Amino acid sequence: MTAQLDTLRTDVRNWLDAHAPRDWRVAATHEAFVATQRDWFRQLVAAGYANPHWPAQWPGGGRSLAEQKVIYEELARADAPRLLLSFVSTFHAFATIHECGSADQKARHLHRILEGETWCQGFSEPGAGSDLAAVKTRAERHGEVYRVTGQKIWSTMAQYADKCLLLARTSSGGAKQAGLTFLLLDMAAPGVTVRPIHQIQGDEEFAEIFLDNVEVPVRERVGEEGAGWAVAQATLASERGLTLMELGYRMRGAMRRLVDLVRMTGRSEDLGVLRDLGRLGTDVDAVCALADRFLENRMNGVERPGDASIVKNAYSRCLRAWALLGLRLGGLDAQYRDPISFGDLNSGNWMADFMNSYAWTIAGGSEEVQRNIIAERVLAMPREPREWVL
Amino acid sequence: MSLLRSELQESARKAFGNDAPNGDAAACWTKLSDMGWFMICAPEASGGLGMGLEALGVIHGELGRVLAPGGAIAQMLVVEALAQADAAAGVGALLERAMAGEIMTTTLCHGIDADQASHVLLVEPGRIALAPTDTIMPRTSWDSTRRLFDVAPADAAITLAQGGAAAALGDRLRAMLLVALAADSLGAADAVLAITIDYLKVRRQFDRPLALFQALKHRLADLKVGLATAEALFWSRCHDGESLPRLGALKAHVATCALRVAEEAIQLHGGIGLTAEHPCHLFLKRILLNRAWGGDPDLWEEVAGRALLNAPA
Repeated sequence: MTAQLDTLRTDVRNWLDAHAPRDWRVAATHEAFVATQRDWFRQLVAAGYANPHWPAQWPGGGRSLAEQKVIYEELARADAPRLLLSFVSTFHAFATIHECGSADQKARHLHRILEGETWCQGFSEPGAGSDLAAVKTRAERHGEVYRVTGQKIWSTMAQYADKCLLLARTSSGGAKQAGLTFLLLDMAAPGVTVRPIHQIQGDEEFAEIFLDNVEVPVRERVGEEGAGWAVAQATLASERGLTLMELGYRMRGAMRRLVDLVRMTGRSEDLGVLRDLGRLGTDVDAVCALADRFLENRMNGVERPGDASIVKNAYSRCLRAWALLGLRLGGLDAQYRDPISFGDLNSGNWMADFMNSYAWTIAGGSEEVQRNIIAERVLAMPREPREWVL
Repeated sequence: MSLLRSELQESARKAFGNDAPNGDAAACWTKLSDMGWFMICAPEASGGLGMGLEALGVIHGELGRVLAPGGAIAQMLVVEALAQADAAAGVGALLERAMAGEIMTTTLCHGIDADQASHVLLVEPGRIALAPTDTIMPRTSWDSTRRLFDVAPADAAITLAQGGAAAALGDRLRAMLLVALAADSLGAADAVLAITIDYLKVRRQFDRPLALFQALKHRLADLKVGLATAEALFWSRCHDGESLPRLGALKAHVATCALRVAEEAIQLHGGIGLTAEHPCHLFLKRILLNRAWGGDPDLWEEVAGRALLNAPA
């Protein structure tokens, strides 16, 4: 088993040495960045490294979690671009359709993901962030179509997406969760408007989606009407903990940027800096060890509820500290605005990295929501009372 | 978790109980001796169990969890030094006595329990030696679970290692000390966190348990994140062959995290946390001693920083 993993590691490493893009950080525009993303995904699909978590009947699929880990470790080690554009497609869309979709949906959609079709996730709304079940976007059935009207927000790369995993409300009576229905939306359908969100660091990783009486065929409904919440759980559970492990390794690799900065700024004998650097280096190793252990528990089937929240909060705070040390060492120089690297959390553009680190304490379930989960599910503290009276 | 680790942890928890403080020093000592845990790291060729640093970590984690009194840390270092001693030193009989539980101590741990110890291990630059204890002066420390002494060795010291061998053995002993202190701190922090959570679930104010207040839940969640991260780091570095600087940085990380847990534990207990009858303060004091022993975070963080600067690109 170990020998097999070693062979895989050598194969991936050799392939990455020959193929990994080196200059992806210098993309001048978001469009150029997206073009690089599409090209890189195409190459990974051809090499069989884009979808190791898919079942074995798919090309590139059938890899064990241990093998997936090797591939992601090597992608991080090679400092290859993260697969930002195809992330929702290969994880969320695939898992949702594969686990909950009809035979017809599987046949029509899944193979197209490997051909480069991209998906976005239409879950969050202006009034439904941490409280996701509060979704208000309405879907009304008219014969063989649903007519959908509403607004979605914080949809990753939606401005480049072909399709959307849409969570909409089909009824308002009863529990909030009970009235939700899961639809597969064609982003080219009439009535869909997408507006990129200009983020504080200058990137546009997210977009708003406006839906004005958009028709979605009933055959694109996943699961029964009103069963959307359960399907959405399958979507959200699709990411298998590899991302945080990969990001941890990337952060460890990026300690080199801080070391270079310490030297460049002549702070190599500054005790305060040495201590903070040493502490951070150990903290980063600790986060990597935590992510490793999390994956190991998953492989052994002993993951506990709330474990993923612990890893996310540990990583995101450490990422913030990493960027802040760079920002502090960068001093006034870091206040001059250089072009940013798109889709990169550890670019060494310290202001951009610092501001981008907020994506990890806010997106994907805010740090505060994770704390609730940890307190209630890991520490078995009582849940929030359901009733709220002013 | 490795099978060895989980099995050993289970037997250790059974042996020492699960409730702190376990103030019965003599009973703890007998159990350690009966189970052969003083010689857990000593090579099998010398009659030890040869189980390595991971096993050492398990035992000290459980000792920290119950705030076990006594000088188990020192005893294991003495056993290691005797087991690794130059054959010419002829200390086979002393090693057997130490493994069987005859109390010995070391200056590396500030002469812990020296008034009961027959010998003291001296760790000096270029020389490691064992001497009968002579003049001892008790030092009352804030951590009442450990009794510390200034020790003056008798003249009749037996040299165990010199020169390069002494340097290597000294590093090995310091590595064991760092692992033991980190493990002890982790065990103590885990226990005091559990006590605190239990207390918040029971203590009622404003007609509801304190555990229902989100401000408090979030603080507990943050402590849990820190502790889980420190534990993961601990097991990733707790193995033979890990370098002293990396074990030092590990101890610094763990001690910093454990101190935060112990500080918060007192605060979250409110008034009862200020009373000597409640065990909260015992955890705080023990963790603070662990933090100061064997090099404090200031020292090890600086070392870690230099190591990063000097690492090859």
